[in-house]
Amino acid sequence: MTDMIKIEDLSKKFGDTEVLKGLNGSVSKGQVICVIGPSGGGKSTFLRCLNLLEKPTSGKVTFESNELTALNEGQLNELREKMGMVFQSFNLFANMTVIENVKLAPVKVKNMSDDEANKLALSLLDQVGLQEKADAYPASLSGGQQQRVAIARALAMNPDVMLFDEPTSALDPEMVGEVLKVMQDLANDGMTMVVVTHEMGFAKNVADQVWFMDGGVFAEKGTPDEIFEHPKNERTKDFLAKILEA
Amino acid sequence: MKKFFVWLGLVLGLVVTLAGISAQPAQAADNSLARVKEKGTLVMGTSPDYPPYEFLVNRNGKERVVGMDVDIAKKIAKDLGVKLVIKQMSFDSLLVALETNKVDMVVSGMSPTPAREKSVDFSKVYYKGGQSILINKTDKGLYHDKNSFINKAVGAQTGSIQYSLGKKQIKNSTVKGLDKISDLILALKSHKVEGVIMEKPSAQAYVDNDKSLTMINGNFNLGKGENDTAIGFRKGSTSLVNEVNKSVDQIDKQGLTKDYLKDAGSYMKTNTHNTTMWHYAGYFAKGVGYTLLITVISVFFGILLGIIFALMRLSKNKLLHGLGVAYIEFVRGTPLMIQVMFVYFGIGLFINIPALTSGIIAVSLNSAAYVAEIIRGGINSVAKGQTEAARSLGLSNTQTFRSVVFPQALKNIWPALGNEFVSLIKESSIVSIIGVTDLIYQLKAVQTATYKGVAPIIVAMILYFIMTFSLSKVLNHYERSMRHD
Ligand SMILES: Nc1ncnc2c1ncn2[C@@H]1O[C@H](COP(=O)(O)OP(=O)(O)OP(=O)(O)O)[C@@H](O)[C@H]1O
Ligand SMILES: [Mg+2]
Repeated sequence: MTDMIKIEDLSKKFGDTEVLKGLNGSVSKGQVICVIGPSGGGKSTFLRCLNLLEKPTSGKVTFESNELTALNEGQLNELREKMGMVFQSFNLFANMTVIENVKLAPVKVKNMSDDEANKLALSLLDQVGLQEKADAYPASLSGGQQQRVAIARALAMNPDVMLFDEPTSALDPEMVGEVLKVMQDLANDGMTMVVVTHEMGFAKNVADQVWFMDGGVFAEKGTPDEIFEHPKNERTKDFLAKILEA
Repeated sequence: MKKFFVWLGLVLGLVVTLAGISAQPAQAADNSLARVKEKGTLVMGTSPDYPPYEFLVNRNGKERVVGMDVDIAKKIAKDLGVKLVIKQMSFDSLLVALETNKVDMVVSGMSPTPAREKSVDFSKVYYKGGQSILINKTDKGLYHDKNSFINKAVGAQTGSIQYSLGKKQIKNSTVKGLDKISDLILALKSHKVEGVIMEKPSAQAYVDNDKSLTMINGNFNLGKGENDTAIGFRKGSTSLVNEVNKSVDQIDKQGLTKDYLKDAGSYMKTNTHNTTMWHYAGYFAKGVGYTLLITVISVFFGILLGIIFALMRLSKNKLLHGLGVAYIEFVRGTPLMIQVMFVYFGIGLFINIPALTSGIIAVSLNSAAYVAEIIRGGINSVAKGQTEAARSLGLSNTQTFRSVVFPQALKNIWPALGNEFVSLIKESSIVSIIGVTDLIYQLKAVQTATYKGVAPIIVAMILYFIMTFSLSKVLNHYERSMRHD
């Protein structure tokens, strides 16, 4: 199995504070990685360094044999479209309807015809169960619906990997399920995924690998069974104990 | 903080350089006469609110500058064999206009005082008046001469001889300076001032046309030139002055000023024949037209340049960012009035820009700075996540800005931008100081022409309100149709 994403000695500083301290890891095609860990540990920063929304201070990120950290903006744009991203706060374009949100990138970046883009968008909205909301504006949707549209929007570029940053953290509890369901379906279809999450159930059931992150390092990596049932690192144990208490 | 001083230095450096360039003595050999003959026109600067010297009349809805000074200038132009062009502006601006080549001569009831002679060459005296004080008829018994005004408020035109006479020769008085005689008359009638100092023939004109006014002799101690009226020229225009003096001699010998005054008097009679505001609808329409013209063009360029300056200020490029910041801060840190004068008189030293164009340029450039800040605020108010989502989909920086950020910014800035347009309608009135015939200018013209103070103000006020109110309504409509929630 070749690595789809390879991370080598990845570091990131904001001013003087070192948020990521020399991370290493690799993601292979079809794999689902869940990144867990305490707040402020650097999970979001790590994920954002993968598609270079955040510029690493040092180290390398390689995606499908392209060293992202060595590319210019134009080249980066081409590779970013292969890496879908879903945000905690949905970030749907407020000035566009649902279907326009989904169509925008295919039309602007891939020069897809309007007809074709419409067909694509409708089928993706169908996939996330929201075809009837195609002409609504984001502000009129529930959080769960917005996040499903955001997933459809990312899928519209036909990405090779999907990055999720706590996609359910901003949702009311009764809406978490509908989003996790869409993500689980994606995983079942063989999508490569890196998911930052606090949903331990999802991590247990869907992840191939769980990476526990704390203080800017991966304190422990392993299968869900290894991490959740037989954690070795003290910090992992602490974290899991606190989570289970809550 | 260090950065701040760098900017301050940069801006000041720029200003000093500009000032240095414009302060270079333009004096070469005296070619003043040759120059006038060559271009075939003699441009006269005047402030037409000083009957019978110069004032505006309404002929079939068209306005015209007439008066003794105009007749004199016509004779001079005829003697020189060139065409007379009349440029109107406020009395205060006349000498600057002379200095900056906007006009060839100033004929505006001006007295050749020693102070003025330092910066202006004067022709021989063409008229000797006297200084009177205009008062309300009801106060007739109270005031006898200047000494009656001790401890009282009197009015005079800003920058005029009468103003300094009042300051120097009436003990403990407050001298209120206003730009326009018509405003002074208003102040007099509402007892903001108890008397208005003006030249005898002017005072006579007001008394003849307004039954509530009367005049008394000021009994001022008049120094050299303060009783006289002469024509002003740019310093060093000896050849032109000499030639004009020949005409002045003729006027003197033939006693032509008497005829000219009579001529002016006849205009004043016909002029005051019909003083209803309706009769002057044409004046107001023209004013509204110019105000709208200036506003519309300035809004267009204001937005265009505003976007550019906002993007410069938001740019990561240090040079562009710096220029953007410097421009915006400098323009917002100086009054529009000075900017208007700078464009017309200052830049006008190098290229001759007509008053209307100067006004539009200044207002546009000024508006651009404010619009830039509105746009920058709007762009910054678009959540960062919107940009990140677009970039994560592979959209370029430019595509992201155009499709995602700008439309949302526009929605945020629309109300503020609307306010800016509305205030532009009002603020553009400042261009009247360089003689652009916008609504404010026309308001003063109607005041002078009708000898009525308040009625034209009310008409202009209502017209301004109609313009701003309808614009607000239209903008509100668009704002509503832009909402998505
Ligand atoms: N743009 C930034 N500038 C400065 N510091 C930042 C920036 N972004 C993140 N940080 C800091 O980096 C550290 C890691 O932040 P990050 O958001 O990656 O943590 P996280 O693990 O995702 O936390 P959470 O679970 O709360 O989302 C935090 O201390 C945060 O304050
Ligand atoms: Mg986070």
